[in-house]
Amino acid sequence: MAHIKLKHISKYVLSDVNLEIEDKELLVLVGPNGAGKSTLLNVIAGLTDYRGEVFFDEKKMDQVPPHKRGVGYLFQDLALFPHLNVSSNIAYGLKVQGYPEKVIKKRVEALLDALHIGGLRERYPHNLSGGEKQRVAIARAIAPFQKILLLDEPLSGLDPQTSKYLRTELCVLLKRLEITSVFVIHDLLGAEEMADRIAIIHKGQIEQLATPNDIFFSPRTDIVSEFIGMPNILNCDHCHILSTGLVEVVSGDMSIILPYEGSSIKKLAIPPHDIYISDTKPPGPALNRYKGIITEILPINSTIRVRVAIGSNNLLTELQKSAFDEMNLDVGKEVYVIVKLRRLRYVEP
Amino acid sequence: MSFKRLAITFSFVTFLLYVTLILSLLYFYRGSLFLEILFSERTLFSIRLSIITATIATLLSMFFAIPSAYALSRYNFFGRQFVDTVLELPMIVSPVALGAMVLIFFNTPAGLAIQEQGIQFVFTVYGILIAQFITTAGIATRLVKAAMDEIPQRYEEVAKTLGASPSKAFFNVTLPLSKNGIIAASILTWAKALGEFGATITIAGSMAMKTETIPVAIFMRLASADIEGTVVLVLILIGIGLSILYAVRLFTAKTPYA
Repeated sequence: MAHIKLKHISKYVLSDVNLEIEDKELLVLVGPNGAGKSTLLNVIAGLTDYRGEVFFDEKKMDQVPPHKRGVGYLFQDLALFPHLNVSSNIAYGLKVQGYPEKVIKKRVEALLDALHIGGLRERYPHNLSGGEKQRVAIARAIAPFQKILLLDEPLSGLDPQTSKYLRTELCVLLKRLEITSVFVIHDLLGAEEMADRIAIIHKGQIEQLATPNDIFFSPRTDIVSEFIGMPNILNCDHCHILSTGLVEVVSGDMSIILPYEGSSIKKLAIPPHDIYISDTKPPGPALNRYKGIITEILPINSTIRVRVAIGSNNLLTELQKSAFDEMNLDVGKEVYVIVKLRRLRYVEP
Repeated sequence: MSFKRLAITFSFVTFLLYVTLILSLLYFYRGSLFLEILFSERTLFSIRLSIITATIATLLSMFFAIPSAYALSRYNFFGRQFVDTVLELPMIVSPVALGAMVLIFFNTPAGLAIQEQGIQFVFTVYGILIAQFITTAGIATRLVKAAMDEIPQRYEEVAKTLGASPSKAFFNVTLPLSKNGIIAASILTWAKALGEFGATITIAGSMAMKTETIPVAIFMRLASADIEGTVVLVLILIGIGLSILYAVRLFTAKTPYA
């Protein structure tokens, strides 16, 4: 068991934070830089002093030093011990905790296998690639049978493809090992795929703690809505299966054709940057393309948000200022709207 | 002249200054005297005494310097800035003044009590040890602290989250990672102790075959206008010193993981 409860935590930017993380849950903590994400992890690990209370399985941990908390921590910079080889890095926690040599050897071998780094056991960190270092750091963090694992953007230094691959692998591993995990990410990309729940933190406050779908379809505050990219939420009136894996969803005066394996969709979320507008008729088939009237233009830094009415639906689109300037757009003007289906989310009944 | 050339010229001028000083020794160098003085009982005693006292003083300095440097490098505590400043005393106060301070201390009731009940420091080998210790301990701390400052604290944090107590994190992580810096600091401390003169002669005096270290022996030969003898002893000291500096270079060369 490893249930975490934080009560009235204050430290630096964190102000009266209350948070409960369920046993074996994978909670993703998302927020902009300086929001207090890493500080919150340090509080859980006991690496910093703080005001408030931390409980693990109802046991008060405030006076328990970090080395007795049983919390694994995967830092952003990984910090593999440079003077130890891969095997010794992984075995470190087990050794300092006094596990018998036989147990250490067995555990290290199991983790080398699980993370596919068996061939690296004798190598030193300076001879490892970025992805290999991540794997070793993961193995080291969970080696001493930790029931809680904190991950502070450990995959941020990798290329997007390796990062996505490792993230998926890591999630599978954490679920298999039944570890309660808090994973810090500074953007939503990927968070929604892996999280049991997402906590959005802003200026030291938890703005919303909910499942990914609840966050997308029921953002509680404007900050959350802004953070998740102000998605357009469409209520689906009808859903027709066109062929296997392809459905037509009717929402008000819009008909959207999208790939979907199920039979019915209740709500759709489309990010504004996946909706394009054009002042001239775009070439190609009229699939997921509509005519609309501009109702509002909102300049935000280098982007422009344009609200377009398509029948009874009001869609928010987002375009670069340069693209906006090229088109002669104004409130009341008729435009063509193209919906791309790149990061579509939906709620099933 | 380009800036690069100007900078390099300055480095060579400084280099030539020292080389000129070393070469000037050769003017008074008498080859026949070298081995005679080197293997004389008095010189061998001075060399032996200097090496033994410098080694013990270095061990003592490092014994205090390592934990002190760690505390100054890692912890914020009341009086930290004050401690840090006082440790620089040997660098800003001349060794003679430090020696005089020790001598004065041993003439206070507390100092007299220590000498009567415990060890006699004034005009003894123990005096040399304390002279070398007080002139090197602060510098040793400063050098070790510089080495420990280079080791990111993150490694200790990781060790703690893996179950290592603060002392285990120190012995298993920080100490091995700052090993090269500590060795280099020890060697420089030893070289500084070996060349110590001002505090040594003030506290321990200059008794031949008793408290005469190499620097003291150089001074005594010079005082008696024995230039050739002085040259030989200076060359011995330079020989030992340069070997030590070369060793420091070897140890401070970047390790693959640094």
